[in-house]
Formats: sequence, structure tokens, C-alpha cells
Amino acid sequence: MADLPVVLRPSLIEGNKSLAQVTRDVCGGLEGKPTPLWWAGFLISFSVLIVGIAAVTYEILTGVGTWGVNRTVGWAVPITCFVFWIGIGHAGTLISAILYLLRQRWRTSVNRSAEAMTIFAVICAGIFPVVHLGRPWLAYWLFPYPNTRGTLWVNFRSPLVWDAFAIGTYFTISLLFWYLGLIPDLATVRDVARPGPRQRFAALFSLGWNGSARTWQRYEVVYLLLAGLATPLVVSVHTIVSWDFATAVIPGWHSTIFPPYFVAGAIFSGLAMVLTLMLIARKTMRLEQYITIRHVEVMCKLVIATSGMVALAYATEYFTALYSANPYELFAFLNRARGPFAWTYWTMVSCNVLVPQLLWSKRLRTNTLVVFVISILINVGMWFERFVIIVTSLHRDYLPSSWSTYSPTPIELATLAGSFGLFFTCFLLFVRFLPVIAIAEVKGVLKDGWLKPEARRPVPWVREPAGAEVLTYKSAAEGVQQ
Amino acid sequence: MGENSPKRYWKSLEELEPGFDAPHDEFPEPLDGPVTQFDRRGFLKAAGFTVAAATLVGCGRAPVEKAIPFLVQPETTVPGRAYFYASTCAACSAGCGLLVKNRDGRPIKLEGCPEHPSSRGGLCAVGQAALLGLYDSLRLRQPLAGGKPSTWEEVDREILAKLTTLRSSGGAVRFLSGTITSPTTRALLERFLKQFPDARHVVYDPLSSSAILDAHEQTHGVRALPRFRFDRAVVIAGFDADFLGTWISPVEFTSGYRAGRALEANPPRLSYHVQFEPRMSLTGTKADRRWRVAPDEIGIALTHLAARVAKLAGAAFSVAGLAASPVPAAFLDELAQRLWEARGRSLVICGSQDIAAQVLANFLNHLLGNYGATVDLERPSYQRQGNDRDLQTLLGELESGRVAALFIAGVNPVYELPGGSKLAYVLKQASLVVSFAERLDEASSLAHYVCPDHHFLESWGDAEATSGTVSLFQPALQPLGKTRAMVESLAAWSGKPQPAYDILREHWQANIFPRQHRERSFEAFWDRSVHDGYAEVEPRREQGKTFRFNAVRPILSSARTSAGAFALVLYPKVGMLDGRHAQNAWLQELPDPVTKVTWDNYACLSPAAAARLGVKEGDVVRLEAGPGNAVLELPVYLQPGQQDGVVAVALGYGRQGTERFTKVAPRWIWARPGVGENSLVGVNAAPLLELAGGCLRYTRSEVRLTKTGATRALAATQKHHSLTVPQNIPLLGGERRDMVRETTWPTFLRNLAEAKHAAPAAQEDLWPADHAFPVHKWGMAVDLNACTGCSACVIACQAENNIPVVGKDEVRRQREMHWMRIDRYYSGSDDLDVVHQPMFCCQCDNAPCETVCPVLATVHSDEGLNQQVYNRCVGTRYCANNCPYKVRRFNWFDYARDDRLQNLALNPDLSVRSRGVMEKCTFCVQRIQEAKIEARRQGKEMADGAIQTACQQSCPAQAILFGDLNDPKSRLSQALRSPRNFRVLAEFNFRPAVGYLTLVRNRAEDQKEKHNG
Repeated sequence: MADLPVVLRPSLIEGNKSLAQVTRDVCGGLEGKPTPLWWAGFLISFSVLIVGIAAVTYEILTGVGTWGVNRTVGWAVPITCFVFWIGIGHAGTLISAILYLLRQRWRTSVNRSAEAMTIFAVICAGIFPVVHLGRPWLAYWLFPYPNTRGTLWVNFRSPLVWDAFAIGTYFTISLLFWYLGLIPDLATVRDVARPGPRQRFAALFSLGWNGSARTWQRYEVVYLLLAGLATPLVVSVHTIVSWDFATAVIPGWHSTIFPPYFVAGAIFSGLAMVLTLMLIARKTMRLEQYITIRHVEVMCKLVIATSGMVALAYATEYFTALYSANPYELFAFLNRARGPFAWTYWTMVSCNVLVPQLLWSKRLRTNTLVVFVISILINVGMWFERFVIIVTSLHRDYLPSSWSTYSPTPIELATLAGSFGLFFTCFLLFVRFLPVIAIAEVKGVLKDGWLKPEARRPVPWVREPAGAEVLTYKSAAEGVQQ
Repeated sequence: MGENSPKRYWKSLEELEPGFDAPHDEFPEPLDGPVTQFDRRGFLKAAGFTVAAATLVGCGRAPVEKAIPFLVQPETTVPGRAYFYASTCAACSAGCGLLVKNRDGRPIKLEGCPEHPSSRGGLCAVGQAALLGLYDSLRLRQPLAGGKPSTWEEVDREILAKLTTLRSSGGAVRFLSGTITSPTTRALLERFLKQFPDARHVVYDPLSSSAILDAHEQTHGVRALPRFRFDRAVVIAGFDADFLGTWISPVEFTSGYRAGRALEANPPRLSYHVQFEPRMSLTGTKADRRWRVAPDEIGIALTHLAARVAKLAGAAFSVAGLAASPVPAAFLDELAQRLWEARGRSLVICGSQDIAAQVLANFLNHLLGNYGATVDLERPSYQRQGNDRDLQTLLGELESGRVAALFIAGVNPVYELPGGSKLAYVLKQASLVVSFAERLDEASSLAHYVCPDHHFLESWGDAEATSGTVSLFQPALQPLGKTRAMVESLAAWSGKPQPAYDILREHWQANIFPRQHRERSFEAFWDRSVHDGYAEVEPRREQGKTFRFNAVRPILSSARTSAGAFALVLYPKVGMLDGRHAQNAWLQELPDPVTKVTWDNYACLSPAAAARLGVKEGDVVRLEAGPGNAVLELPVYLQPGQQDGVVAVALGYGRQGTERFTKVAPRWIWARPGVGENSLVGVNAAPLLELAGGCLRYTRSEVRLTKTGATRALAATQKHHSLTVPQNIPLLGGERRDMVRETTWPTFLRNLAEAKHAAPAAQEDLWPADHAFPVHKWGMAVDLNACTGCSACVIACQAENNIPVVGKDEVRRQREMHWMRIDRYYSGSDDLDVVHQPMFCCQCDNAPCETVCPVLATVHSDEGLNQQVYNRCVGTRYCANNCPYKVRRFNWFDYARDDRLQNLALNPDLSVRSRGVMEKCTFCVQRIQEAKIEARRQGKEMADGAIQTACQQSCPAQAILFGDLNDPKSRLSQALRSPRNFRVLAEFNFRPAVGYLTLVRNRAEDQKEKHNG
């Protein structure tokens, strides 16, 4: 047994923390007063959110005409934002579910914020399909509910109905998954918080968690099941969103490559957003020892991989257009690169394909400032990718007589900004009121890397010490005792 | 009980101890009786009854309130049912036959009268839009005296007093009007003017054809406008005459032109049409060969042609010293040959206001033997009877203060004549100016009295636009205001007040009735005429003298425009014409058939000229025509096919009153004002007209253009003008899209011969059909060869389907609402070809819009219609995105009508769509339903042709055909069996229900053949 190969890794968490210290570090932030940096961020985000709310209110009161969309380009910035935010939401589930199933234990430091990001991103995304409707007050008609209108039902052939289901499901599962992961930590908060509303809130939502082995065992089973349930959703949601375009007849949309292309793109953009948020959180919440450079590096490697997938998709689109000999299709793609919106296309290519290549260099991907800038650029690039797909395909489709241009109005841009305001407002409230690091899970990996080899129970198919699981149970109890 | 009992139980303190002072009246109400009338059970019963009764009452039907309280129902009128009255259109002088669709006492749609001998069922965009003018709240509701509202009695008294003094003093009375085609009005006017010692009727047309009349005076000794018979012409040479768009009688000419180009006939006919013109006119877009000729070279080209034809005819015509031809000599040889071969079946027309050029055109027609055949001078036209020489005299008189009383009817001299501002000053000096204008305009606001005439839909009247066809107007509703027919005013001032109806009947009885022999009694004749809307009578024959050859002079040279300067061409736009309908929002928003620009006029420049000037589209240029002339600032529009040295500007813009349209657009924060500078729509170009040499001239040389540096975005509905994709996009250059097919006449004939032998290929599909069409399957055929792009259908659709006007800013944002649009594509560069393609919902069987709608708001009917359910639509706009033909229109805002009175023009058979809802062409489903109900009511099969869509009905060229595809014998099915039939984007298998018929150009198979797709 002792001669089984065992890989020793550097510790995932730096600073040689004790279990109590983890609790203190994470919960301590919640107890104290918010930092000026937090206040600054919150006020800016909230102001932007207010601007967005004003814009949306005005738009709903006055009409979709307050946007720059027209008879040819019926969807533009708002639907771009919708697809963008849905994409952002992907990394959360990827990190929490898929990496969990793959036993990527480094994920513990980032999964909570990634999951929170998913929730908020899906909320942001969900707003757009509603407000972009001509009659948003009738948005519920998109759901098949029993009604008094005879046999009136929704059109199950319409990808928008699939969207409603896909996003609804995704949001529900993501929320459950996030909440389930939060339960042990809420119990910790409950136990360490000063009496008051926060403590009562934590007590209520920790559902009477008592840290017993039986509780832990059930928790782990449910968590595993939910992770299993969430995994197909990572693929399905953006696949279905891509069908909004792929099932349409517009050249540039009508393409079978869209599902994998969209999923890869979504994960790519989500990872970039996680990186952005991680880097902000570790700086502002002083969590450098939990979110280490190693975490950043791992994420960067994933970014390189997904960037490659996205680049492959871009190239494949051109190949298909050429190979199909469909003049409309070929024109649509050449028009992206050479037409009036060429600058958006080249922004997209530079940000999504060229810039991430810098991360091959270890020196650059361990420099947080560089990584931060790159992650922002990728977010910009991915936003433009959706813009390119939606607007440049629509503005010059079949009949040249109806070709048109598009430019957003300030109302539209305010709505776009408002969605970022909403996202960051939610995120900042989250880091303020809930444990931003999964305390219980981090405690589980705390001793990784320095445990003596003989203390391990090696599992042949996972080169990872599984004994950590045992420690996890203890750690929570310890945390409670502190 | 009592004393014997061992214990006494007391019930109260009084009983125990009588002295105890219990409080009295502790319970004021008696406790022993029933406490209340209502016990619990009673309450429940009562409450139950009340609730049940209230519920029952609530469930009952509300008392019926009759929406149309006809106390005494008018005979033959059924509320909610449409009635058609035959009448005549007076939107221009062409006098096309009308059927006024009346619903509940108000006209809601104007249709062409199919039996009318000249218009033959067509009605142009202007005529269609006249309906909106009827419901214009800015029309005067009562007479004005000194600009103040007055009454007819008062106005009559004052005017009569002034006229009496004039009669005795002998002051000059002048009646200035546009062409009056009404024989009754003319007779009455004559009677009215006879009262005065010095009275004259001066006629001018803002769009003058005075030179044609003058030329005929010189060549034939009769000042008349011949009736041009395009239906009889097989070779047509047009010299700057936009006869399909705006020239004289476009509907009649289009119908005739179409008759000469009937490819569905057996054997097929296709006239040969050559057009020489400086700018791209609608007519030029249809020509088989088109030559760009500067305006001052038109005469030279005519002379060259005349010399060749004269040689063929053996007539003497000396052209020594003739300047070089602007058109290749070889082409002129060929044209002369073709004209000569088609003697008596050819037609040379000229739109120039140069009498010499018109004389040459007459000479050509005479040599070709066209008089009496294609040029009818015996039964002339009575339109455009203006005499610009008279006008010039009158203006001189006015200036010298000789005119004591001026009556203005139907024209607006202050606006539409050069030197209008001077005229305005002069009018202020005159002692009596009476205007009959319908609304306050540049001239009527200066008049002492405005005696507003009825709208033509409110009045009785007649019109003899061509000799022998007298049309009748009948009122379709009570006048909306206290207006009065001009004939009534004139009668009142002639001392014999009479209602217009009586005046008209009397005149008909005395003058029109004797000119016919069909009916014996006048009553029968009158009734038939009112029913038909017109009467065919003996023409008033004009006795043309023999052709005077000595009148003919060659035009040897022209004053050439100097280098760097431009020649100016002022032209009327389809829809806007001379500006008389500038207050009509439908017409303002009608895309110009050639430029596709709405809500503006602009300086058209050829792309080469613009490049020379260094200007782009939308750059504002200053247009100067020498000292003393108005300076215009206009945005540039790049017009391919225009002569390089020419700048063309549309008339009819910058009208007073168009500032009302600042309100027409939806209001929101980033909305930009809907109109141009001074809040007027466009700029008035009329000050640059020239009234010289007895003719109102629409061209002038030596105009200088300078760039101002400002820009003004034009509101165009089409941004890309070619079927070829932009050069910079494809890797290998010039990719052409196959939306429109065209071929040449020889190829067409060959294909036709082949098609007769070939069996039609059955369309096979891999998948079973999605929909079954058990009874009907509606479809349409659009003949691209017939379509001239005149846009009558666009307005007809707008009127029929309650389509809102969105304003300039919204059009600029590409959000026009027209369900029907006409795509116009250019091909070639120098020798430009143009195609017009009407485009509307193709009602695809495999409709991409239907599958994507999440709420089933757009679904397929079992008659092949792609239905849009407005009240189910939530407005995802997915359907519009996925529509390959981009025909769906979204209600971006609540489009409030700027004029609430205009809501009366709404069609009650259709809903007015609310904000956030998608809409599109329905194939006029309300008409389909009406016809089906009618057929069922009569228990008959629906006849082919019983349904006509609004666009089809209005089309003067009969380019649109609606019918049942399930019926193999229907006209539609037959038309679609033509080898010319193709479907747009057929390769994608959307299965549109609209088939297009290939455009055929009458030219040899040349290099253009490669465009055949």
C-alpha cells in the first residue's frame, strides 16, 4: 500500500491556516464594518443599477422604439446582453458541478462566488427577454399554464419556449445548488455571529443544521446528486440559447455548429468573469491566502483551452460557409469581417483568440494585474461575439432592399450598464452578507499537500487524498466550537 | 311552591332586598320581546337572497345600447355594411373614375372605377390619399373675411357689394385658376364673368404643359392638348416626359402603356420604349433603352431624330449646322427606322416646356402618321389647359395695379410661381382678393375673403378630362364644415343662388344630355350617369387644320452650361406633385418610387457629379442660380442614372402648414424633430422656376452648387440599391442576388415556344406538407413587367389596413410601417437598368415566422394565409428577424394620429394595432372574409376575381393578381403557369404563395443577359 504512487502537491490554501482561522477569516469579514472600497464599489454599482432601472422603466412605459432596433435588426444590444449573461452564468455551474464531479479540489476556494455569480448572471439575463418584449406585461404567456382561453397553448416548436424552460430549470437548479452548499456555512455563521438579525437569518436558513455525521452524509449525497443534475444543464442551457439562432433561417444564424460553439463560448466567458471577480474579491476581501496564484493559474489554463475551442468554432464557421457554397452564408460571414460592423468582429477575434494566447506564458498568468486585464478583455470580446452573431447577421440578410444599420440609443446603453449595475450590486451584497468562501469545503482541503503519505487512503483512480472527506466532518465541528 | 319551600331562591337584588336601587334602564331596549327582527337564520336567509339576487341581476345582459341610433333607418342603408358610390377623383386634373367605399355614412376608402374609360380601374397614390385630405381638421370649416371666421351671408353681402361697384366702375376682374375640367363650372364661370366689363379667366397649371398646346397652335392651328394613346403605340420615344409618374394623366397612360406590353396575351405584345431624359424618372426606369441627355440637349436630340425620320419620309427638313447628337448616331438611326416601321403605331412625346421642341415632336408624330392614331387631336384632352402667356400677362397687370378683383381657385400662385414673394406683396395691394382654397395657404392667407370649397368627396360636380367622357362627382358624406361648393358661390354672386346639384343637373340637361343618343329621357340618363360615375357622350370635336410645315424649325444648338455649373431640373415627385397635397401625411411618407426617400426634397446629383463636388449623400449644398434668385440649401441625394451636369430638385415642398408634421412622430426623449428647417417639410424650389417666353420652365442653366459643410440625414426606406452585394465584401467581387429575374424579348419568345412543349415540372418535396388546404389556397402573382413602381398600391394598402404614419425620424430609423413596399434595384453603371419589385408578406407555406413564435401569435390558416393574431402577440420580434423577405412591421410605439378627425378614415373591419404588436400584410383578409360570407349568403361558389386586394384594385398597370391556387382554372393559376413565373428565394423552400413574373426588356440579347440569374 505504501508503494502506491502518491503525488504531493503544494497546499491549496496558503498560510498554514488552522480550521478556526478559516472560520474567523471568512466570517470575520461579515461581522465587521464594510471597507471603504466595498462602499465605493457598492455605491457605483447601485447608481448604475438605478440608471438601468430608470431606462427600463422608461422603455416599458414608452415602447421598444426607445431602442435603436428597427424593422431589419429586431434584436440587438438587449438580446446580446441576454446571451452574454447566460454565458457568464455557465462557469458557476461548471466549477461547482463538473469540477466537483471531477474531484478538482482546488475549486473549493472559488466555487461559492462562482455559483453566486451564476445566480446573479442568470437574473441579469432573465431580465432582457422580458423587457425586450413589445408587451412585457404579457411575458407569462411564454409559459404553458392552464388557462381559460380554450386550447390556447404555447408553441412548442419555438426555441423561445425552450429558452423559457431551459433558463427556468437552470436558474432553479443553480439556486438550489448554491443554497445547499451554503447550508453548512450558514450554520457556521449562525454559531459565530453576534445575536441579531444576521444570526437569526442564518439560523433560519441553515435549517437546523447540527453537523452530525448523519446530516453530513445526507448533505453529501444530495450535493452529489445535484451536481449530477446540474452537469447536463451546463451543456443544455447554452445549447438551447444557441437554437434561438440555429433554428432560424438567417444566414449567419442557421448553423449546426452553434450548440458546441455557444457552450464553449459560454464557459470561456464565464471563466473570464470568475477570474475578474476572484481577482477583485481576493484583493478587496483580503483573501489572497485562500484564492492563491495557483487558483488563478488553473483558471488561466482553462481559459486558454476554451479560447482554443472558440477559435476553432470561428474558423469552422468560415469553412462551412465556403464548403456549403451557399452565397448568402458566405456573404454573411465575409460581411462580418469586411462589412460596416467589421470593427466589432475584429474586436471579438482579438479579445477572444489573440489576447488569451498571452496566458501561455507562466510569467504573465501569475501576474494578477495582467490576468485581470485579460479577463476584462475576454468579457468585452465575448460580449461582442454575441453582438456580431446577432446584429451583423440580421442587418444584411437576404433582400438587399431591406438591409439596414443599427446603432444603440442611450436608453439601450443604460439598460446594458444597468445589468452590470445589478450584477455587481448583487455580488457586493453577497460578499457582504454571506460567506464568500465555502468554509466547510475549504476546511476539507486545508490539510491537502502537507499530510503525511502514510496517513492517506489512496484511491487508485483518483490521485487525490480522499481522507480529506473525513476531515471535512471534523472541520465543521471544530469551526462550530470556535 | 312559594312559602312552603325550604329555600327561597332570589333572582335579583330587588327581590332579595326591595330597597336595593338597581340602575334603571340598564338595557334601554326591551329584553323580553324579540331583540331584533333578524335572528341568525333570518340574517343568513336575507343575506343569501340578496347575494343570490345580486348575482342573478349581475349575470343578466346589460341593457342594449345601440351604437348607431337610427331612429328612422335610412332606406337601403344597413349599418356596418359598405356601399360603393361612383364618383370622380379631383386630386389632380386627370379625373380618374372612383368608387367611394362608404361605411356608416362616411367614406373609408377610394377605389378605382373599373368601368371608367380612361382610368380603367386604377387609382394613383395621390388619388388614394385624397381620402385622408377629406378628414383633415385644418381644412377651413367656414368662410373667412379678413382672416376672421365669418358667415356665408356676411361674406356674400360684402362681396356682392364690391362686385356691384366693380360692375359699374369697370374695374378689371380676373379669375385665376388651375385647369377646370368641369363643363358646368366653366359655363357658370363664363356667366359670372360676363357680368363685368373687363373680366378674364386666366388658367395656369403649376405643372404646366402649356408648350404642347402652344406648339399645336403653331402646327395645327388649334390650341389643344392631344390625347396620347399609349395603348395603340408599339414604339414609344419619350423625351423627358414622365408619363408613367406625374405627366398629365399617369393612370390612363400607365394603363395604356401596360396594354401595349401584355406578355400574357396571345400573341404576346411588348412595345419598344426609348426614353431620353436628364434625371432618373419613374418612366425612365421602365424604358427598354434609356439615354441620359442634358435638359438643353433634348431639342438637339429631337432634331437629330426628326432629320432621320424626315429622310425616311422624304420630307424636306434642313438641319445644317446642327450640333453633335448627345446620343450615338447609330442608335438614332435604329430608332428612326423602328419608328418609321411602326408608322401610325408609334408615339413621340416630349415633356419639355420649350415650344420649339414640342413643335419638333409634333413634326415627328405627323411624319410618322401618328395623328389620328396614337395622338388624338380630334378628341383632345381637357387637362393642363393652362396658358402661361396669359399668366405672364396677368402677373404684369397685377404688378401694375390694374386688377381690381382677383379670384383664386385651385391654385396657389404665391407658393408655386417664381417671384411668389413679390406676388404676395402685390396681392396685398389689390382691392378684392377672393380665394376658394380649402385651407389657409400661402395665397389664401392673403385673400380678403376665403370662401372654402367642398372637398370633392363632399360635393356634386363633373369633369370632362378627355373629350367625350364626362365624369360625375357625387357627395359621399355631408360636408364636415360649413363649406360651400365653388359653383354655388359663383351662382350666388351672379345673382342666381342655386344648390350645386341643381346647377349641375340643369347644365347636364341642357348641354350633356343632347350629346348622347342612348337614353331617351334625361332622368334615365342622369340616373345611369350617377350610377356609373361617368357618361360617354359625343366628343366636342376640335377641328385641327392641316399640318403647317413652316412652323417647324430645327433646334441646332443650345446655350451650354459652363464648366463647373449645373443645369437645374425642377420636377414633380410622385405623390407630392406640385405640393397641393403637401398636408397629406400619407403622401409625405410615401417613399419616392425612384429614390425611396420620404419627408423631404433634396438635390439629386449623379454619383460622378457628387464626387466632383466632394459631397456625400446628406451633405447640404447651397444652390445658387445667379443674382436676384432664391438660394436653396438642400441635402444631396446620389441618383445613379442622372446626367452628370444636372442637379434635380423636387417641387412641392416647403409648403406653409407642413409644420403640423412636427407632431406626427412618436414623442420620446431621443426623438428628433420630424421635419426640416423652419419646421416645414423640405424646401420650396418654385422660386427657381422661370416664367419666360410664354412658358413656365422647369429647367434652367448656370446653377452653382457649393458645399455648406452641414448635413441633413435623409429618411430613405431603402439603403442598398443594387442586387449586387457591395464590392468590398466578397472575395471575388460582384456577387449578384437572384431576387429579380429579367430577360430580353427574344429570349422570352424562345422560352415561351419551348415551354409550350415542355410539361410543367411537378414540384416534389422530401417531407409531407405541413398544412392541408381543403377549399381555398390564396396566392398572388406580381408581374414585374407590368409594375411601374408608381406606388399606388402602397397608399391603397395604407388606407385599407389602417397603417399609421410614423414621421421622418422613425423612417430614418428604418421603422416605416408600410406593409407593402416596392423594392427598387439598379443594375449596370452607365447604362442603368432599374427594376421595381413590390414586396409584401408572401404567406409562405413553410413560414419561418410561424415556427419561431413562442405564443402562436402567427399561424397558418387552412386557406394558406399566414395569420397574425394581434391580441396574442407579445412582441418578441423573432418572427420579423426570421422573415427572409423582411415584410413584418412592428409597432415600436403607440402611433397616435396627429389629427383625431383622421380617425374617421380608419377601416372598421380591421383593428388598430397597439404598441408592442407585430403586423404585416394579410392579403386583405377582411376582403376575403367579406367575399366568402357574401358567396355563402347567396349559396354560390365563390367566383374567380370576386376578391380583389387593395393593392391589386388600385394598380393602374394590373401588375398584381390575387386568386385561388386550388382552382387550376383561376386567372392566378394560369398566370403562374407562365414560364416567366419564379419565386423569390425559391431555393430555400419557404414556399411563398406569391409568384413573380420575370421582367422582359425589349432589346436584343446583349451582355445584360448574364444577369438572368
